[in-house]
Amino acid sequence: MIVAERKPLEEIIGFIKDYKKILLVGCNECVTVCYAGGKKEVAILASALKMAFLKEEKELEVKEVTLERQCDQEYLEEIRSIVDQYEAIVSMACGVGVQFMAEKYQTMPVYPALNTLFMGGAEEMGVWAERCQGCGQCVLGQTAGICPITRCAKRLLNGPCGGSTKGHCEINKDVPCAWQLIIDRLKALGKLDDYDNLMPIKDWSAERSGGPRKIVREDLRQ
Amino acid sequence: MSYPDSIRVIQVPCTGRVDVIHLMEAFQKGADGVYVVGCLEGECHYYTGNLRAKKRVQYTKKILDEIGIGGERLEMYNIAASDGPRFSQVAKEMDEKIRALGPSPIRTALQKIHAARQAGVNVETS
Amino acid sequence: MEKGKTGAVVVVGGGIGGIQASLDLADSGFYVYLVEKDSSIGGKMSQLDKTFPTNDCSMCIMSPKLVECGKNLNIEILTLSEIKAVTGEEGNFQVLLKQKPRYIDLNKCIACGTCTEKCPRKVPDDYNAGLTMRKSAYIRYPQAVPLKYLIDPERCLYFESGKCRVCERFCPADAVDFTQKEKEITLQAGAIVLATGFKPYDPGANDTYNYKKFPNVVTSLEFERILSATGPYQGSLLRPSDRKKPRKIAWVQCVGSRNVHFGDRGYCSGVCCTYAVKQSMVAKEHSDIELDTAVFYIDIRTYGKDFEKFYNRSRDEMHVRYIKSRVSTILPGDQEGDLKIRYVDENGRVVHEDFNMVVLSVGLDIPEESVELAKNLGVDLNHYNFVETGYFNPVETSRPGVFVCGVFQGPKDIPETVTQASAAAAGAASILSEAKFTLTKEKEYPQEIDVVGQEPRIGVFICHCGTNIAGVVNVPDVTTYASELPNVVIAEENLFTCSQDTQVRIKERIKEHHLNRVVVASCSTRTHESLFQDTVREAGLNPYLFSMANIRDQDSWVHQHDKEGATEKAKDLVRMAVARAATLRPLSRQRLPVIKRVLILGGGVAGMTAALNISRQGYEVVLVEAEKELGGMARKIHRTLSGDDVQAYIDDLIEKVTHDDKIQVLKEALLADFSGSKGNFKTMLNVGPAMYHREVTHGALIVATGAKEYVPTEYLYGQNESVKTQVELEDILLKEREVAKRWQNIVMIQCVGSRNAENPNCSRVCCQQAIKNALALKELNPENNIYILYRDIRTYGFAEDYYRKARELGVHFMRFKEHEEPKVEQVDGRIQVSFRDLTLMRDVTILPEQLILSAGMVAGETQELAGILKAPLTKDRFFLEAHVKLRPVDTQSDGIFICGTAHSPKRIDETISQAMAASSRACGLLAKNYIEVGGIVARVDPELCAACLICVRACPYEVPFINADGVSEIDISKCHGCGICAAECPAKAITLYHFEDAQILAQVDGLMEAV
Repeated sequence: MIVAERKPLEEIIGFIKDYKKILLVGCNECVTVCYAGGKKEVAILASALKMAFLKEEKELEVKEVTLERQCDQEYLEEIRSIVDQYEAIVSMACGVGVQFMAEKYQTMPVYPALNTLFMGGAEEMGVWAERCQGCGQCVLGQTAGICPITRCAKRLLNGPCGGSTKGHCEINKDVPCAWQLIIDRLKALGKLDDYDNLMPIKDWSAERSGGPRKIVREDLRQ
Repeated sequence: MSYPDSIRVIQVPCTGRVDVIHLMEAFQKGADGVYVVGCLEGECHYYTGNLRAKKRVQYTKKILDEIGIGGERLEMYNIAASDGPRFSQVAKEMDEKIRALGPSPIRTALQKIHAARQAGVNVETS
Repeated sequence: MEKGKTGAVVVVGGGIGGIQASLDLADSGFYVYLVEKDSSIGGKMSQLDKTFPTNDCSMCIMSPKLVECGKNLNIEILTLSEIKAVTGEEGNFQVLLKQKPRYIDLNKCIACGTCTEKCPRKVPDDYNAGLTMRKSAYIRYPQAVPLKYLIDPERCLYFESGKCRVCERFCPADAVDFTQKEKEITLQAGAIVLATGFKPYDPGANDTYNYKKFPNVVTSLEFERILSATGPYQGSLLRPSDRKKPRKIAWVQCVGSRNVHFGDRGYCSGVCCTYAVKQSMVAKEHSDIELDTAVFYIDIRTYGKDFEKFYNRSRDEMHVRYIKSRVSTILPGDQEGDLKIRYVDENGRVVHEDFNMVVLSVGLDIPEESVELAKNLGVDLNHYNFVETGYFNPVETSRPGVFVCGVFQGPKDIPETVTQASAAAAGAASILSEAKFTLTKEKEYPQEIDVVGQEPRIGVFICHCGTNIAGVVNVPDVTTYASELPNVVIAEENLFTCSQDTQVRIKERIKEHHLNRVVVASCSTRTHESLFQDTVREAGLNPYLFSMANIRDQDSWVHQHDKEGATEKAKDLVRMAVARAATLRPLSRQRLPVIKRVLILGGGVAGMTAALNISRQGYEVVLVEAEKELGGMARKIHRTLSGDDVQAYIDDLIEKVTHDDKIQVLKEALLADFSGSKGNFKTMLNVGPAMYHREVTHGALIVATGAKEYVPTEYLYGQNESVKTQVELEDILLKEREVAKRWQNIVMIQCVGSRNAENPNCSRVCCQQAIKNALALKELNPENNIYILYRDIRTYGFAEDYYRKARELGVHFMRFKEHEEPKVEQVDGRIQVSFRDLTLMRDVTILPEQLILSAGMVAGETQELAGILKAPLTKDRFFLEAHVKLRPVDTQSDGIFICGTAHSPKRIDETISQAMAASSRACGLLAKNYIEVGGIVARVDPELCAACLICVRACPYEVPFINADGVSEIDISKCHGCGICAAECPAKAITLYHFEDAQILAQVDGLMEAV
């Protein structure tokens, strides 16, 4: 899922300080699961914003809505009938949702309430960690299911480097060396021989160098 | 036994039921202080309810700090069900602390807005 | 044809014991006649202020039971009644009662109190131990059940002089009836339970303490009344002579106990030490001036569960002084009203100290009427006039079909009484099993009124609680205020909202005004919510359409000096409750069948006793034992203190258990998994050496896993073979008598592994064990020297006789202090024990041949089991009961019960009582054909659920799961209703019924409206 966290309140307040009526929109997908922008967080932010205004002896009207997803036009359509009543939209979705929202409602100012961080998962309750950088050419098949692009600070395809000490990365003692993990797991799987196969130079054009990426499935496209 | 009469109790089955939103709402409506009273740590009837509540209180304190209400207006205490004297002591502590902090800026603002409305003055609202 | 047994039981005595026995029997399917000689039930517990060791308010915890008893369709309370004769036999008794006239018609009295107000005659109030006056037309106490007034004919002007009848003239209900005559009633019953309790020892009888002469010498019961908010001084701590606040109070222990000189009271009353600890602490808390309290004692006997910690707290934190000295006389002090006590201090010096007040800790006495009753029934009494029971049959009297519980069987405290009351109920139920549900009635609630879609119509009932609330809060003012709140249709005030007549009134108001929500502003939800919920249900409302404001505990009691502030706060609290009421929704409950089988963990005395009783009550048992053989810890004990053969008893138990076709025994069986909820549990077991899996479904579970003997690490145990434990000694006394006969010098050390930093509590049995073995040694060789080094000898109850006997036979008892334990060394292979003798004030060294350690009892490996069962433990890892006073064998997890030493250290006879009590509670549950689930549980809205797993991870009971539709689901029969998931859910998809966000926020908003 996409993992995000709420922006500092001060920044959000900065966006909306001149408005009196805002529409605060949550998203019931990834950002709900990572406790950043679901219905509950919408309510908390709404309350915090109202209080921040009240403190300045101003009143802020906040309409709270949480959509199934903000990255789909149809769901965004659900708020069309009320959008006009507000001066601005604050989206608690990831960057995708915020942009879809802005595209959908061209005349409305749309502000993000979250910082979108990475693609990851919950390691335990309350802890989310990055696992994928969307490089466009997955190497997990060769690396025992451990991603060197995400988890190696240098994104080395044939590691480890000389900075690997006692299984940890030189950038931070708490970060395990991805390549140590890969080798350990290959060993455990009895596939340490795969380690000898040098990986060819990666085609980074599948990542970001080709500009914003797009997938088209002709079989689905209407 | 006695304690200050500034305190009003809202009953929940377990402090584990207390939501950040409940705490926020109390401040938003003008409470000067809020405290959550749970069982002693390790003695929660539901095992973890009071520990969860403690975390939520800490989180809410941060938000209150961020918007300048003051996280110290919110506290969590753990008191044994049979320990009336401690309950009373905590009530006094909290009462004194909140009195020292003075009225919540939200309450002051709400009162001003209310008074202005009563007086028919056009306040900044829609 | 043989006549069938009668499915009714007569319970004699309406104190807490009789109440518990009645409730259990009614639950188990029997019609109960509860016969009480007084005008209302409640007994002595109703007169107590606080209860040890939690200092809970006695009346507060008891009053729901009173009401439950009063409301139970299958309990018929017969007040002012005494049993005159019993004919017939077990299964079919005819019980002849005499019922005195009340002179007030029970059906007409509305408990308005006019008769009391108008009555011109004042008489001493025995409820307040004679410290205040009451009228001749009166009610015993405000929460009395039945709440009906009466006229005391012995001290009524009309009966004395033929004139007056003022009460009759003023009674608005026309209830006074001077023509009432004494009635004879004959009841048919299958069994009888005696629960007549005690009377406090009268220290005026042999007035060595000048009790009659000095008003400031009071009994402990009088002191309870002085402390009580409903007592003579409204809870102010004052002394009787001049109503001044005392600065120094002394307690004199063992008044009428442990004394063979006055009226043959050689027994220990068992409860006085702990209640003196309680009173001395509560007095200090109560007093608004500096108060010094001193307790004069022989031995401090705080042997109950967690009592030692309570005692330590009073001494170390509250600074109660404990002075070991038997006080023989009380003389006038130097100042008017003061009292002088002469005692011997720590250093052996005679000290004279003045106190403002002295409390006599009077013992428990058997009243004359009880002796008379026993005679009428043909029930044998012991040499102290307590009912004679066999060691292994602690609730059976000499007459079959007649059971006994509580103090009439032997001195005991409230939880022991409640436990034994359940045990007596189990005894009666087991002999009448075939007659279950033949005479009972079932409660039919009216069809529930559908309120969905209706505007809220709220009725508010505001309680005076006598003067508890009304003395501080301006109740009429609050009532007027309430009547003007939104959605409120009617608001009215009541003297006691919990009284039975007010329940009737609430129901009438619901009907008259078509109320669809009810608010009561009174006391605590903890004690009274269920009562009021039942009342609204009787009027056709869903019980969840009810909300409460606590204007007593949270208001009048804590803001006594600020009447105006308290009144304003009461308004706030009422406004909040009304706001909440408007948001309440009816909740439905589902009926689930009950599996009529009990799983018992532990095949010792406790487990086997419970198993046999359950089987006799007609239900199946699966008895699980971890070891290869049944028998448990009692296998190591040969004789009891009173000489009963334990092994023969256990052999007999095993024989019965293994040949009972309703009991299945699984040996070498371990619990692997446990799930379900009360009435419907499922347990996975690994059984036998092959560890085959076995699944058992059952409706209840009894934990009877026992405890362990502490293995000493001190006093050279394990290093020198002359050092043994009492259990090891007992074995030698049985098997190697000739060896033991030759011993000349034997030292025993008490409290090994008990009453110390690691295990602060008393192990309860070791003093008796030591005396038992000392007596056996003396029997073998009267010439030997036995030295028992002790801190306090705790031979409570009749065990005191054996302590006296041991002293008479020349056993030396030598006291040492905490932190000044005896020193044990090995000198040339011999054991040398040195210590400071506190009587001789000298250091003493003894070279015994044998050193016997009275090793305490410690909890078994309970943590894993407790984790699987989700049943909490005490700090010492014994299983924790649901309520230390009134639910002693229940756990906080419904359907799971505890008994025996898994609960706390105890003797075999006490274990048997508790096992039968657990059986009674379990069978009460199994007797039902269904149980209701639902109510306050969490529910997931699948539309909103993001399947994020937060609830799955956060639930402490692992109830939520992601179902086949890919959303979270909560099984309501397992949900405990804590609300953690609801507060955690990021999608706000989970609602905790009855504590919904909207309902909580309604209270917040209701409160903050005033801002």
